[in-house]
Amino acid sequence: MSAALAPSPSLRTRVERLSGAQASALSLAIGAVLWEIVGRVAQVPFFPPLSEVLVRLGDMVVTGQIVGNLAESLGNLVIGFGVSLTIGLVLGTAMGRYRRVNAMFGIYVYALLTAPSLVFAPIFFSILGSGRGSIVGVVVMYSTFIMIITTASAVENVSPGLVEMGRSYGAGEWRLLTRVILPAAAPSIFTGIRLGVGRAVTGMINGEMFIAVVGLGRIVTQAGKRFDGAGVLAILLVIIVVAVAAVALTQLVDRRITSWVPQTSKDAA
Amino acid sequence: MIEIRGLSKAYRGQDGSQVQALADVDLTVRDNEFLTVLGPSGCGKTTMLKMIAGLIPWDEGSIAIDGVEVDGPGPERAMVFQNFALLPWATVLDNVAFGLEMRGVGKAERHERARELVTTVGLAGFETKRPGELSGGMQQRVGLARALAVQPKVLLMDEPFGAVDEQTRRLLQEELLAIWEHNRVTVVFITHSMEEAVLLGDRVVLMSARPGQISEIVDVPLERPRSSDVGGLERSSEYSEITAHLWERLREMHAEHGRVGGIAS
Amino acid sequence: MTATVPARTPERTSESPVPPRRRDRRPAWVRALDSTTAYQLLGFALFAVAWQLYGTYWGGLLVPTFTETVLAVGDLVVDPEFWSAFAVSNQALVLGFLAAVVLGVPLGLLLGRFPVAERLSNVYLNILLVTPMAAIIPLLVMSVGFGLASRVILVTIFAIVMVVVNVRSGVRQVDPALLQMARSFGASERQTWMRVLIPGALPSIMTGIRLGLGRAVTGMVIVELLMVSVALGGLILNYRSRFDGAHLYATIVLILIEALVLIGAARWLESRLAPWAVNQRKNG
Ligand SMILES: Nc1ncnc2c1ncn2[C@@H]1O[C@H](COP(=O)(O)OP(=O)(O)OP(=O)(O)O)[C@@H](O)[C@H]1O
Ligand SMILES: [Mg+2]
Repeated sequence: MSAALAPSPSLRTRVERLSGAQASALSLAIGAVLWEIVGRVAQVPFFPPLSEVLVRLGDMVVTGQIVGNLAESLGNLVIGFGVSLTIGLVLGTAMGRYRRVNAMFGIYVYALLTAPSLVFAPIFFSILGSGRGSIVGVVVMYSTFIMIITTASAVENVSPGLVEMGRSYGAGEWRLLTRVILPAAAPSIFTGIRLGVGRAVTGMINGEMFIAVVGLGRIVTQAGKRFDGAGVLAILLVIIVVAVAAVALTQLVDRRITSWVPQTSKDAA
Repeated sequence: MIEIRGLSKAYRGQDGSQVQALADVDLTVRDNEFLTVLGPSGCGKTTMLKMIAGLIPWDEGSIAIDGVEVDGPGPERAMVFQNFALLPWATVLDNVAFGLEMRGVGKAERHERARELVTTVGLAGFETKRPGELSGGMQQRVGLARALAVQPKVLLMDEPFGAVDEQTRRLLQEELLAIWEHNRVTVVFITHSMEEAVLLGDRVVLMSARPGQISEIVDVPLERPRSSDVGGLERSSEYSEITAHLWERLREMHAEHGRVGGIAS
Repeated sequence: MTATVPARTPERTSESPVPPRRRDRRPAWVRALDSTTAYQLLGFALFAVAWQLYGTYWGGLLVPTFTETVLAVGDLVVDPEFWSAFAVSNQALVLGFLAAVVLGVPLGLLLGRFPVAERLSNVYLNILLVTPMAAIIPLLVMSVGFGLASRVILVTIFAIVMVVVNVRSGVRQVDPALLQMARSFGASERQTWMRVLIPGALPSIMTGIRLGLGRAVTGMVIVELLMVSVALGGLILNYRSRFDGAHLYATIVLILIEALVLIGAARWLESRLAPWAVNQRKNG
């Protein structure tokens, strides 16, 4: 119990002292090596070694398969997420601010949030046919509801003192919303937006896989049909990068926009 | 008897910096003594107590209880925690019985003992409540009962009444005195409050910060039992003299250290 | 050590009355019309009417009206073909979900208890949380085919991440003071697990299981829709190719209902099994 530190820090303490980024890099490196070894040893078509996947990825980039479909996918993502964001902010704010709106939509929004969103894909297909519209619709179903709900609760939880302050200075409803309530709620709203972005990416891929006309979702399905394991994994890597990058981008925007929001209203939100 | 010799401890921060929490502390706690420890925030009181409890290792020195080196927690010691450390999912009875359960005491027996102690600390009728349903003062009574239940020779208390309001604290102090006067064990009691230190202790250990050291040990010659007339005690001149002296010393420490540390209340 | 000390009446346990509400002086029927339920019904009615109009005038081949869908739901509920498809789909759901719980809870417990494992697994869990998992369906089909196995595996993969992440954070959030307390009373590693870590993490474990169930249902639906399947997904494709919009929609409605019922049940169970968590939150 007493006495002396161990002569050199153990592996355990060394790992514990790594920063978050260092730990991630280390475990990604370990994962990559394991993938390579397992892939080489297993010799199965559906789990080729990392090197093979990277070569395949290089090929696909050179032949233009990735870039074109990536652009299509990002198009679906941006349009779908834009629609979701608009609905989420408008309806969310209304629900957070007005009891009657909340009463009217609340339980349905909650139900749709917990429901598996892809179930609506056939409905969009039946209404909009097999085109971009349906994919965008799926993206919207995936990402809207979480943003509505977080926005509503963010707006509802803005400190009443702050709202009274706005009133006492004669702010009307519109000014109250844009000058006091939304800025105060912004940090929490961004939490929802971040979740919404993650879900939008999922919606994009799943929608594209269901309505296989464009995008990464389509080519991943096609690669599977060709029994091209390396191709599937190569596209999967691209998808992971897209997902992680989209969330990271939101965080960046979040930090930019809410950096000037004073700490006190962040607490209140 | 607890013998602490040359005890030193440095914490290493994440950035590699070192904080000397304790430096070369010597202290002897007599059998069945009520020892209170007073000192500015960050002077290493908690650190020392947890070392006696065998919860954290030290760098140099030794701690022995009745001649046996401390090497981890032991059945002769029991601790009362500042923030109660009650299991929120367990009933009052199961919380009080926790220490006994860890020792493998059978259910019927440990519940019987726990029930007695629940009564001792004035919580009879609350056996099946959960901590979330109790006030802070009641929660700490549970913490005290849990420690008493294992019949320790040494009771280690880290600012046990620091997290309750002033009035409850007075009640708890009186009760603790009454319980202890009835069943004397060795107590090491940490506090921020000069009044509490004097009221409860046979001796007050005054510690100073950076590095944590013992700066003085003050005898408290107030007669016992004290639980019956706490108010009268507080009006006595001896009491005022000792608290005044302690305050004088603490103020000197503050002057030396400037803004560093500081006495929380 | 018996009661020499007079037992005291305990201090107040809790207060915080409901804040006084302004009294509503409007007549009862106005209040009823202005109630939450009334607006919920209004919302639903508007939705149904809009659907009815759309289905009637602009619907086209595949879009049924609201009433047609309701009737088709009635049809399906008594249709043995639907129930056998339902059973097949749910087989994958049940097996996959159980596997996710059985594997995910211990894994989460271990990751929560051992910091090295936790730090090294962190980046992968974060990736798994944001990555659209459906993209591995082609690999599943390549490796184990279209059968029950690949459907179960997909459901498991969907659900297990949620279970692991929540269990792990539950263990990590167990108050370190409680662990120290247990140690001070000489608790062994096993006792620490049984008496402190697992009960302490139980609310999060239950949350993980509930969210995992939600994901499992999602996984099941995705399997049905993205992997050519014999069960509910097959039914949907079948109705689609027959241009039977009403039954197509009715199947979707029933899947939705199942999902909501399951998730509601999990939520109820959660509040039953870890009631102290509610108390804890209430008391700050
Ligand atoms: N786990 C730790 N890691 C690093 N430094 C620590 C740790 N625990 C305590 N310290 C440092 O050691 C010193 C002594 O801490 P300790 O908690 O023993 O003080 P204390 O006298 O109990 O203070 P307080 O009266 O505020 O409870 C402080 O400077 C503190 O910052
Ligand atoms: Mg302390």
